[in-house]
Amino acid sequence: MRSAGRLGLAALTALAVLSTGARAQEPYPARPITLVVPFPPGGVADLTARPVAAAMEKVLKSPVGVVNKTGAAGAVGMQFVATSKPDGYTLLLALSSISIIPEADKLFGRPPAFTVDQFAPIALISADPTILVVSADKPWRTAKDFIEDATRRPGQIAFSSSGVYGTLHMAMELFSHAAGIRLRHVPYAGAGPALTAILGGHVDALASGPAVVLPHIKSGKLRPLAGWGAARVAALPDVPTFKELGYPGAEFYIWAGLFAPRDTPPPALATLRASVSAAVGDPDFRAAMDKLETPVAFKQGEEFRKFFEADAKRLAEGVRQVGRVQTQ
Amino acid sequence: MVETLQNLALGFSVALTPGVIFYAFVGCVVGTLVGVLPGIGPLAGISLLLPATFGLDATRAIVMLAGIYYGAMYGGSTTSILMRIPGEAASVMTCIDGYAMARKGRAGAALAIAAVGSYVAGTVSVVALMFLAPPLAAFALRFGPPEYFALLVLGLLVLAYMSGGSMLKALAMAALGLLLGMIGIDQMTGYFRFAYGVVELGDGIGVVPVAVGLFGLAEILATAGLATPPAVIKPKLRELLPSRQEWRQSAWPIGRGTVLGFLIGIVPGSAHIISSFVSYAIERRLSKHPEEFGRGAVAGVAGPESANNSATSGAFVPMLALGVPSGPIPAVMLAAMMVHGVSPGPLLIKQQPELFWGFIASMYVGNVVLLILNLPLVGVFVNLLRVPYPVLYPSILVFCVLGVYAVNGSVVDVWIMLAMGALGYVLRKLDFETAPIVLGVILAPMIEMAFRQSLAMSDGQYAILVTRPIAGTLLAVGGVLALLGLKPLVARGLDWRARLALAGKGEERL
Repeated sequence: MRSAGRLGLAALTALAVLSTGARAQEPYPARPITLVVPFPPGGVADLTARPVAAAMEKVLKSPVGVVNKTGAAGAVGMQFVATSKPDGYTLLLALSSISIIPEADKLFGRPPAFTVDQFAPIALISADPTILVVSADKPWRTAKDFIEDATRRPGQIAFSSSGVYGTLHMAMELFSHAAGIRLRHVPYAGAGPALTAILGGHVDALASGPAVVLPHIKSGKLRPLAGWGAARVAALPDVPTFKELGYPGAEFYIWAGLFAPRDTPPPALATLRASVSAAVGDPDFRAAMDKLETPVAFKQGEEFRKFFEADAKRLAEGVRQVGRVQTQ
Repeated sequence: MVETLQNLALGFSVALTPGVIFYAFVGCVVGTLVGVLPGIGPLAGISLLLPATFGLDATRAIVMLAGIYYGAMYGGSTTSILMRIPGEAASVMTCIDGYAMARKGRAGAALAIAAVGSYVAGTVSVVALMFLAPPLAAFALRFGPPEYFALLVLGLLVLAYMSGGSMLKALAMAALGLLLGMIGIDQMTGYFRFAYGVVELGDGIGVVPVAVGLFGLAEILATAGLATPPAVIKPKLRELLPSRQEWRQSAWPIGRGTVLGFLIGIVPGSAHIISSFVSYAIERRLSKHPEEFGRGAVAGVAGPESANNSATSGAFVPMLALGVPSGPIPAVMLAAMMVHGVSPGPLLIKQQPELFWGFIASMYVGNVVLLILNLPLVGVFVNLLRVPYPVLYPSILVFCVLGVYAVNGSVVDVWIMLAMGALGYVLRKLDFETAPIVLGVILAPMIEMAFRQSLAMSDGQYAILVTRPIAGTLLAVGGVLALLGLKPLVARGLDWRARLALAGKGEERL
């Protein structure tokens, strides 16, 4: 009885060893890959992830499925990937907020849901500079008018954001810090409500991705003043960047990039980088991104790591500048 | 007027092409299923199916997604009436009187009234959407945080009218709901409140697990605890349709629910859920027999079911006229438009008339499809009640767990549902009503956010809540309502609560 049990155990162990051995040698990818999007369907991350996944499928000749794992402003999905098995079969499509969330956790002294060093960067897919828009019925014609008025009336000009410590909030904070002004922050639950607020005249200014506000700029409801990018936005050639205006600290992008868990084997990472590199050249992918009016900005390997680290550093400073928010 | 009719003709020429009708039909069927399954509501349904529409053209995709949205409002009433399980959050109120009607053998009538009420509300509100969209959208945008706060305070006052039993017990339950609604990230400062390190609690306690637990699971537990199982209701064919008297009782509530739902629906935010609560309270207030509410009042089904359908059309007003996401569901639909290269915005109606008017016309078609789909289904669904309890209830339990899990793919939600089921069972035994908890959970985060946003806007000046015209008016109405509520205390008459208590002594409670 006893020996039979032991024999069974030994057989099981042998089987387990064999199967892991076989797995280590199997060509990558041998199974479907899961691309986790930590935000709900229909958002920027989701709409970027789906064409990327479709284009990667063609290159890898293996299915790439998009899974929305949402919650706590993305922390749930990011934590899920950070702690999942680093075998190259679970990937993450994250936005700029990946570097903000751990910083905010640190600020409040709570155990972080994840840290940025739990991820291996694969590639940057898109980077959209935010632009500063104000209601068209406000007197400010240029960023200079806006800054002068804000200097005269500290804390009186209100802006909406996608949420406290959210991307749109951080963009505005980096700008206020660079320009030495103080604005009034009214957080909303998401970028959509923040846009509704400025269209309804409940706030004066908003930092936003260009695609979302372009129709309202064209219809004359909103006026663009300046952009956070290194270069001007193609669709708005007359709008200067903060850099040109002498505020180099005000640089911010809403970017989307692919990550894997940190200990993913280097051969798998290399395969993934090559597949993304081919995928961003895919005409279907280009067409999908054109419809979203999101510029493709492909960077990989060391180049992406540098971009990511510089961005994370800027945002960490931004979060610390904001500090803990005091409210009424 | 003439121009609108011409445009509508263009719309029908788009909507009646076989391809578009097909996708409207698919959307309606899927929506009905999404509504019937406990847990999965229209938002989860649309989100899950959004990727499947990427291969379609823009008009077909939007028509199908919209079909899921209003189809879910039709379907949501089914399980509420038959099993006291809200198919989605807006059907919570239907659970109360709809299920009571079913226990009395009037399940078929309740289902038919819900379907017809939804049809009337859906069709009338599309007419309103068509003629009033641009001016109403501009008005809706004037609802900023102070106005939203005032509206929600009105919603909170409704609580006082919701319960048939003790006012003290109702308010205690509402307070419990508001406290549960406090769990999660503080939207203004980023603090985690009462999350105890569980990241999933960051978004707070969802309405779906709470509603399914408190109503559905508690009902199953309560039935399991009975010494003798309740008799299986065998509906007869001739009892499927509402009687003449039931039609008469439902006519006005359907009308009022339609107007009310549309008006609440256009307000940006998630206000459409409270439209059914407000409608229920109004019907009870206006009724000559308020003591019937909770025991199978026809108006308690007709009003809320019409209101939640009409609110869906209302929610499309800011989305179509201004390209503004007026809530989570329109936001997903706007994203779907962008995927198809249609840029939503104030110019949509001019630049894409086929899309806009085709969409409007498809809503007429969709509502007819849903009526044709749902009326015959009444007979099928009612027969579910013939299934013996030992088979029926475990299957429902499985569907509840699956549905709640599917919304966010979160096991934490399933645990919340189970805990709420246990809580609901205990509260039932102690004779507390649980609907105020659900309303509290819905209202707490919205009301807190609106209040603190208002103060952020005004730099801490409370005056902003009364000096803005819309907010001031709404709060004044609320004040009048509160005073009216106090009247019986002064006037010492027998109000309906007292009558109800008297009536309750005479008959035995189930």
